[in-house]
Amino acid sequence: MDIGALGLYMCLFIALYFEVFLLISFIEHAPSKKEDALPRHYPSVSILVPCFNEEKTLAHTVESLLALQYPQDKLQIVVIDDGSRDATQAIGRDYAHRYPESILFLQKKNGGKYTALNLGIEHSHGEIVGCLDADSFAAKDALIEAVKRFESDENIMAITPVMQVYKPRTALERMQSVEYTFGIFYKKMFDNLSAINVLPGPFSLYKREVFKQIGPFRHAHNAEDMEIAFRMHSHGLRIVNAHTSFVYTTVPNTLRTLLRQRIRWSQGFLRNARDYKHMFFNPRFGNFGMLILPFALTGFFAGTYTALYAAYHLLSLVSSRVTDTTATGIPPHLPDPAALNWFYINTDMMLFIVLVVLCLTVVSIILGSRIAQTRLPLKSFVAYFALFGFIAPLWLLRSLWGALLARESAWR
Amino acid sequence: MQGQKYLLAFVITAAIFATAFYIAGRLDARRIADIRVAQEQVSVDILSLETQFDLLGSLDCLTLSDNPVLSEELNSLANRLSIAEQNLGNDNAEVVLLKKKYSLLEIKDYLLMREISQKCTKFKPIYILYFYSNNGDCPDCRRMGDVLTYLRQTYPGLRVYSFDYRLDLSALNTLITLRKIDNEKGLPAFAVNNGRPIYGFKNLQEMETLIPELKTLATSTTETL
Repeated sequence: MDIGALGLYMCLFIALYFEVFLLISFIEHAPSKKEDALPRHYPSVSILVPCFNEEKTLAHTVESLLALQYPQDKLQIVVIDDGSRDATQAIGRDYAHRYPESILFLQKKNGGKYTALNLGIEHSHGEIVGCLDADSFAAKDALIEAVKRFESDENIMAITPVMQVYKPRTALERMQSVEYTFGIFYKKMFDNLSAINVLPGPFSLYKREVFKQIGPFRHAHNAEDMEIAFRMHSHGLRIVNAHTSFVYTTVPNTLRTLLRQRIRWSQGFLRNARDYKHMFFNPRFGNFGMLILPFALTGFFAGTYTALYAAYHLLSLVSSRVTDTTATGIPPHLPDPAALNWFYINTDMMLFIVLVVLCLTVVSIILGSRIAQTRLPLKSFVAYFALFGFIAPLWLLRSLWGALLARESAWR
Repeated sequence: MQGQKYLLAFVITAAIFATAFYIAGRLDARRIADIRVAQEQVSVDILSLETQFDLLGSLDCLTLSDNPVLSEELNSLANRLSIAEQNLGNDNAEVVLLKKKYSLLEIKDYLLMREISQKCTKFKPIYILYFYSNNGDCPDCRRMGDVLTYLRQTYPGLRVYSFDYRLDLSALNTLITLRKIDNEKGLPAFAVNNGRPIYGFKNLQEMETLIPELKTLATSTTETL
């Protein structure tokens, strides 16, 4: 066995171990079903909507917040325009004018998302502070479900919702819808392990005391939602997933914007992992330090390695076929029908392991879709399996390159 | 409890790997068994033909020319051996043994075919004795193999006897000596019918020029794209 294949087996072992571990966690604590019960108490909530050039989606986002099933006198919406150059400011002002008791509009010079959020925290008054990216829309009962989760344990300091792709249409959006559904399963299992690693922009909620205790959002290499999760873990603050609280987000619909977003996320992870390296393999931080952080970093490099290995072999195969065809002068022809015999099908160990990994991936996606109470159409699966393997390596390699060169990525 | 979960996941993952290893091994074993059965069949067929030849003293040449003996079976065997060699490695003891047996069958078939062609004047086989090495010292052998495989598929009447030059087999060494195949002149090497050895890679067009008799053979219905 060559050293390259040995490395691939190691990557597959790691991937399989991780999937098995999460499935054991699922069997131990299957997510409960949604209950009709209402919260015993309605804390005041401020939802911050940071926006930068979001004229296309801001109105829909604000409308979804206005439609939340929650006492209006307990809900404050704070729209913070981070120096937009489009009609965002006008839309925000218009809403604040129409709903002065519910909506506060703030405007500032462009300084990055974290500065917008911090301004919102400063000017808001809710006991619970939530964020909602201006390209995302909350379900009507999303807040009630999250509040119920807060009520279930007073030690819960932050909550992430179930995040789904809003009306996926193109192949790229469908690919992401499966990926997000996969993420729903992961997020819930991370919750079982008390090791949620990110508090994403769409509808993450915090108790206000979190910011008093650990400070405001930071630039954090344009990954403030990840860094604050790392910081909360480092201070022993509990983050959970409210799997009955749904939020819908629009996703990049071009390869360029998708790569830009993912490079930002990946580089943000690499740099924040470096900043919080003291948490790696540190039992003081539980599963977050012992499992999630090491596996996330290993997964990053394993994914990069696998992509490079596959690309190398694919290119070698194609180039050897081209040079062979040129050298031998053999015209293109159909393979011998006898080659369809089982004898000639590759049945080495790697094939079976890859099949098991793929099967467990499909199982995880199906479990994720059950948690999200949604059904993914077959064409979404096709888009995912046809595209993800080719696109993900692009952002992995690019972000690794960027991290090596210490190049910052833009948040928009 | 948490430690147990880490351990359990490790045990399950290791078990999956072990199962995959076991299944792949079982399938390889089945392939080897398959090759062995095919070799036995070819061996019996050759023995039967030899016995028939001995019994009759001469053959019904018409029947023979219509039925080009064992080339199909040997070709199929060669393909299967090649797969087994890829999966298990060319230094695998079982593979080496099977290759030796296959080479012996090829030599027997070659000798029988020559004998028949001498007695039956209507039977004019076209055959190639091909010598290769897959010890890493013959970069062109794979391409030469591709050309010969294509020729064999295109002209089912063409008989290709391929031998691993590095195979330590006395009968093969004798054949190499008799056909004056000189390793020093490089591999791949081949001889067409009773012709002198030709060394080095030859592409499809060159082979068709070297063997003009190919035109006399019927072509298969191999589809081109």
